[in-house]
Amino acid sequence: MALTDSTAETSLYLIQARKKRNFYLLLMIFFMIVLILWVGIPILMAVMWSLVDPKNPWSYPNLFPPSFSLAQWKYVFDYTNIGRALRNSYSIAPLAVLLSFVLSLPTSYVLGRKKIPGKKFFMLVVLLPIIMPGMVVALFLSRVFTAFGLSQTFFGLVLAHTLMSMPYMIRVMTTSFQAIPQDVIDAAENLGANTFVKIRDIFLPMIRPGLLAGMIFAFTVSIEEFNLTFIIGTPTFETIPTILFSFMGYNFIRTNASVVALLMMTPNIIMLFIVERFLKSDYLAASLGKM
Amino acid sequence: MSNLKITNLTKRFSEVLAVDNLNLEVADGEFVTLLGPSGCGKTTILRTIAGFCNPDRGEIFFGDKIMNNIPPNKRNTAMCFQSYALFPHMSVWDNISFGLKMQKISRQGQKKKISQVMEMLGLEGLEKRKPGQLSGGQQQRVALARAIVTEPKILLFDEPLSNLDAKLRVQVRIEIRDMQKRLGITTIYVTHDQDEALAISDRIVVMERGHIEQLGDPYNIYRNPETSFVAGFIGLANIYEGTVVARDGSRYTVEAPFGKVVIVSDGRKIPEASKTVKFVWRPEDMKIYIQGAPNRVKGKILQAVFMGNITDIFIDVQGNKMRAQIDESRKLIAGDVIEFSIPEDAFSILRG
Amino acid sequence: MKEKKISPIDLLMLFPGVGFILLFIGSSIFLTLVQSFGLFSITGKSVFTLENWKAILQARESMDSLFFSLKMGLLSSVGTVVVAFPIALFFRKGGTGKGILGSIIKMPLFIPALVAAFLILNLISYSGLVNTVLMRLNLINEPLRMLNDKFGWGVVFIQIWKNLPFVLLIVMAALASIRDDTIDAAKNLGAGYWSILFRIFVPLAMPGILVSMILMFIKAFGDFPIVSVAGPIYPASMAARMHIMATIYQEWDQAAVLGVIIIVTAFIVIWAYSRFAELAKGEV
Ligand SMILES: Nc1ncnc2c1ncn2[C@@H]1O[C@H](COP(=O)(O)OP(=O)(O)OP(=O)(O)O)[C@@H](O)[C@H]1O
Ligand SMILES: [Mg+2]
Repeated sequence: MALTDSTAETSLYLIQARKKRNFYLLLMIFFMIVLILWVGIPILMAVMWSLVDPKNPWSYPNLFPPSFSLAQWKYVFDYTNIGRALRNSYSIAPLAVLLSFVLSLPTSYVLGRKKIPGKKFFMLVVLLPIIMPGMVVALFLSRVFTAFGLSQTFFGLVLAHTLMSMPYMIRVMTTSFQAIPQDVIDAAENLGANTFVKIRDIFLPMIRPGLLAGMIFAFTVSIEEFNLTFIIGTPTFETIPTILFSFMGYNFIRTNASVVALLMMTPNIIMLFIVERFLKSDYLAASLGKM
Repeated sequence: MSNLKITNLTKRFSEVLAVDNLNLEVADGEFVTLLGPSGCGKTTILRTIAGFCNPDRGEIFFGDKIMNNIPPNKRNTAMCFQSYALFPHMSVWDNISFGLKMQKISRQGQKKKISQVMEMLGLEGLEKRKPGQLSGGQQQRVALARAIVTEPKILLFDEPLSNLDAKLRVQVRIEIRDMQKRLGITTIYVTHDQDEALAISDRIVVMERGHIEQLGDPYNIYRNPETSFVAGFIGLANIYEGTVVARDGSRYTVEAPFGKVVIVSDGRKIPEASKTVKFVWRPEDMKIYIQGAPNRVKGKILQAVFMGNITDIFIDVQGNKMRAQIDESRKLIAGDVIEFSIPEDAFSILRG
Repeated sequence: MKEKKISPIDLLMLFPGVGFILLFIGSSIFLTLVQSFGLFSITGKSVFTLENWKAILQARESMDSLFFSLKMGLLSSVGTVVVAFPIALFFRKGGTGKGILGSIIKMPLFIPALVAAFLILNLISYSGLVNTVLMRLNLINEPLRMLNDKFGWGVVFIQIWKNLPFVLLIVMAALASIRDDTIDAAKNLGAGYWSILFRIFVPLAMPGILVSMILMFIKAFGDFPIVSVAGPIYPASMAARMHIMATIYQEWDQAAVLGVIIIVTAFIVIWAYSRFAELAKGEV
């Protein structure tokens, strides 16, 4: 008798456990669906809008466009400055990243590895470009740029983008420098490494993941930089964000904007998936997690 | 290969006096162990010798050359770090070969030395792994290998075996000692393991709060501790205070709380009559009393723990607790009354 | 102490980064400030005056804009954290499919703000997907006005969508550092679901939450492009108003006053944050 009793109890327990597991599974699935819709639907809508056939417009109450065509894409490339904007965006960004890297490297080294007075202050100063509201900086920096003849120039835009991407670069690299245990540097020195060897064999390889993460953030910042470009660059230099802004003004041309939007985000999304593993270690959080 | 001299070394970290006016001379090829409680400044001393840490005061000499202003990479020391400090981005092989590369040793030569060391430490087959893919003990052995493969003038070990299992620890320490003797490398070794310290060292430095409590060979440190700190830190100890009541050459009688004991001086300064002295003896010095043996004490067993080869006993002698370790085959239980004798030469007089 | 002095070499190495930023940001702050008092005016005059401040502070539009921008900043930052926290908890424990899901949820981080605005705009516009679906389901009779609405919900939604991954990354890192033992220990001591949430997860994630709220607040408060395309016709955001002031009305000096107000607000928020962070630290 005792045997059957305990079996009954066990099975009851098993059923409860299964119920609980099923509940969690449902919750998981629900969550996943919500997340996918949260990101997926907006992108899907943009894709559909960019493929609307101009002869067969998409309007209420259709849930989907009645027919698809590539006409919008052709139109955007033929009749707008998108080609030039793309070229501008993707030539400014690498230059800005490079310049920002060169300028940030020594600064990050000192901030990450040296005991200096006022370190907190300097760490806050390097955040200024992100904590200062963009439009204010843009408007009044444009006067400085004009004074130096940098307004409406390519080099001026590179400088502006460098400025905006530096907080990420410096913070992330500083964190990477900080993360190297002093013992490891000491060990290298103890085994006979001079300054050059230390930099080449220890520092650079050890900060490489952080450096890559910093470069990626800097790159995306440059690609999406709007305020400074809008004030300092237009109308001479258009980049993708400013051209998208012009499509989204009060004469809103949704189909064109869709094409531009997709053009603008596709490279970034591809980059996200390539660099995902560098983001895993949450460099952003480690470097911006405190002010 | 060089003798090492440290004079008046002082190092302060804001609040903490990590090393306090320390003097130490280590002979060429000698193996000296630093022993002391956590935070007493052992790592700081090693770091100063290696040159990572500028002393506030004092000099470091290798031979008769003053090293204070020589950068670490020119000192030809090799340190095995407490934290291992492996290069996380390099394979085991690259980690170990780093120092040899710095010495510009040929690839062939590197290969021979590294294989030898890896075999000695049981690291074969791990060449291509990164430190992150090793167990704690394996990482520690890589750190050890990286240091000893360079065959430096001075070897600095900061608890190099702390993460190994008991058997491996004994095996590796024998290997280290053999190699050190063979190559005659001056060695400073830090450990928390007393057995290890006693077994491996030429001399032991017992430290407390940045200064040297006692310096001596393992036998002396254990048999003739000079302070109650040393006596209590290494091995087990019964420490009591008493008044000298009679003296006869090197033998004198001390009135202790549990009765009179006769002590034979070990040659150091003999205390004067009617002075208070502190003295120590080891639990294993206590013998079961037999007729005619000196220093008879009688007490009740408070607790007896059978440990196989010995029995660990706490006894109460007229309200005074003492500890004994005897190899008595008879089974002892709490409550038994037992009589011990303590040999007259088992005692050491303590400074403080 | 020897280490406390800054060596010339260190200073030299600090210069490229810190100097570059100070030069540009510092000069623009300086110009904004002096110009708001009529000095170094773009017109060429340089006379000290309080007229610009008077003009701005007396205009009803300025106060409306300030209030609107504050509202956007506050709602966006609080909203994002409220949405992000449960998701971060969900991601704390790894699981099948969560890797790829993590990448998906991070996508908006890499989608430029304006594109994000556009994507969401498609959903919530007058004839957008949400209205279409709701009307086909007969839940509403005529489309809801969510875009360019008076209140600014559209803007808030876009801000949340765009900035969610940023806050997620920071909060997730904070939660990841909580070891399972800690939670087990709490459970062992009798903590239930809610006490674990409010006594362990929330306090430990608090520094990260605070920082991300600050950065979000400043972003949304000083925002120009998103409010321009998705915000109400009136009031404009502070940044938009400043832009109009400078470029349409050519009143640069008054724009500078608005700029000073924006900058001061940003600094007040950061100051309040640092006070709060200290307070929170003091408690632990
Ligand atoms: N960089 C430092 N800054 C401040 N204090 C330090 C620093 N390094 C060591 N100390 C302090 O100096 C004292 C000696 O430290 P040290 O590392 O030499 O101890 P140790 O004997 O090696 O201890 P353990 O056996 O625990 O490794 C300690 O009180 C420690 O807190
Ligand atoms: Mg130590």
